Amino acid sequence: MMKVVHDFKYVFQMQLFRGSGHLLFFAIIQVFMSLGIVIGFTYLFDQPDTQSILYLATGAPTFILIITGLVILPQQIGNAKTEGYVDFTRTWPVNRSVILGADSVIWLLITIPGLAIASLFAHLLFQPGYDISWTVIPALLLIALTSIGVGYGFSYLLPSDLSLALSQVIAFGALMFSPLNFPMERLPEWLQAIHTVLPLYSMAEVMRASMAASTFTATTGNYITLIVWCILGYGGAMYLLSKK
Amino acid sequence: MLLDVQSITKVYAGKAKSKITANDNLTFSMKEGEIFGLLGHNGAGKTTLVNQILGLIKPTSGKITLLGKSILDSPEYARQICSVQPQSQLPLGHLTPAQAVSIMGKMRSGNKHEVKKRMNMLFESLDMGEWANTEGIKLSGGIRRLTAFCMAVISPGRLVILDEPTNDVDPIRRRYLWDMIRKLTDDGTSVILVTHNVIEAEKAVDRVAILNKGKFIAQGTPSEVKSSVNNQIRVEINLATDSKDITIPGWSISSHHQGARTIFSVNPDFVPATIEWARAKIQEGKIMDYSLSPTTLEDVYVELTKGKEATAV
Repeated sequence: MMKVVHDFKYVFQMQLFRGSGHLLFFAIIQVFMSLGIVIGFTYLFDQPDTQSILYLATGAPTFILIITGLVILPQQIGNAKTEGYVDFTRTWPVNRSVILGADSVIWLLITIPGLAIASLFAHLLFQPGYDISWTVIPALLLIALTSIGVGYGFSYLLPSDLSLALSQVIAFGALMFSPLNFPMERLPEWLQAIHTVLPLYSMAEVMRASMAASTFTATTGNYITLIVWCILGYGGAMYLLSKK
Repeated sequence: MLLDVQSITKVYAGKAKSKITANDNLTFSMKEGEIFGLLGHNGAGKTTLVNQILGLIKPTSGKITLLGKSILDSPEYARQICSVQPQSQLPLGHLTPAQAVSIMGKMRSGNKHEVKKRMNMLFESLDMGEWANTEGIKLSGGIRRLTAFCMAVISPGRLVILDEPTNDVDPIRRRYLWDMIRKLTDDGTSVILVTHNVIEAEKAVDRVAILNKGKFIAQGTPSEVKSSVNNQIRVEINLATDSKDITIPGWSISSHHQGARTIFSVNPDFVPATIEWARAKIQEGKIMDYSLSPTTLEDVYVELTKGKEATAV
């Protein structure tokens, strides 16, 4: 146990300092992106009702977590793989799960400014009816870790160029074709069917149920979907990292 | 015995069900405090061998033990004992050399105070203190390479694997680097030096193995390897500009031209005759100067690998 704490400390420092410049940049980008959704998307409506605004105000945090784990992270892993850095980390005298854990914490941390500022602005500008439940912290963690875990899984599984392409599809798909910022019913049935299996819809449902508990509820199925994807992602990443 | 590699074979699946044998039945061992040179062309299988010693890839067959313990059973153990300077340039990102080296030292369970002391000693010995606090992205290739070297040797464990450590490094710092490598072995640390820079390796290594197409084609001390091939004397002459038609002496064994330079080898018995011949040619104005030297490891390397390339085709 002492060794894990010791290893974690120094792996965390190494990864944080190595990426410091980029990470700051990503954190700032996310603030703008989330404000873009909360404020910018209201312009799509002539006279947005409270319900629509609440969808945007609860969709923006989910979107940040998806972009971090499934878009930015795979791009960074892709670069690290190409540069030979991933292979170098494999020679460190630590368990690979420590590296994965330290990286996950760093990715979690950079989402915080975006999450906080977007929610604060949404509340101050529109009072969309936030009703934050105690579940918000575990919910945020579950969503973030699912997103980060799945991001790790496919970026270690696929060749760099393919995982870059996939991350672009996800960025576009999450924003336009996923029920993050609007109700699921608006999508065609076949797309609804896909979204019951993919984690994006469940992420949005769980987030909404935590941030506006009096308006939305999430099903047990949503939680199970996330847990399964989270395990698949991290499990796959660990398997691929330890493979010889 | 520090490292014992027994009959390691690694076969990769190639394209269209073909098989690539990257390492073919390799056996060698290393003692504490020894510098072992692993020479070979690009693609000879050097990195594959190293990665198996580190437990990063699994041999198809064979056995590797580090300090008597099989690394196939406990690959993490290998990573505790060995540290590596990878061949590719290490992308340090925003890490400064001081951060990268001290964090790595502490991660490798070095005592904080000791790590700092040793880091300062390393930076001073390699004359890179000036860049200690410069971010990695702003560093030159040579300084980044030296930083990777320092990361490998800050808390070195028992075996340090250096993969082309002198690439990108200027000639002066290269000398400092070789001194540091030699110093490492004073405390019983062993070094595997992976390189294709044979001239530099010859001076540094205690023992050497030449890897060609996955097989060891020679192994021993540099002088053993050299004498296994020949004990000829190498003669190098620089031709005067207008004497392309020079006839080299009949007792020369093999010869080749490189621009205005002609290189040939002779048996040691013919050294006096060769010197006389060369002096006469200088007086005639046919050649500018000449030099005689024992066969280098590089000559042997070229000869050995050339022969193998030809038979392999």
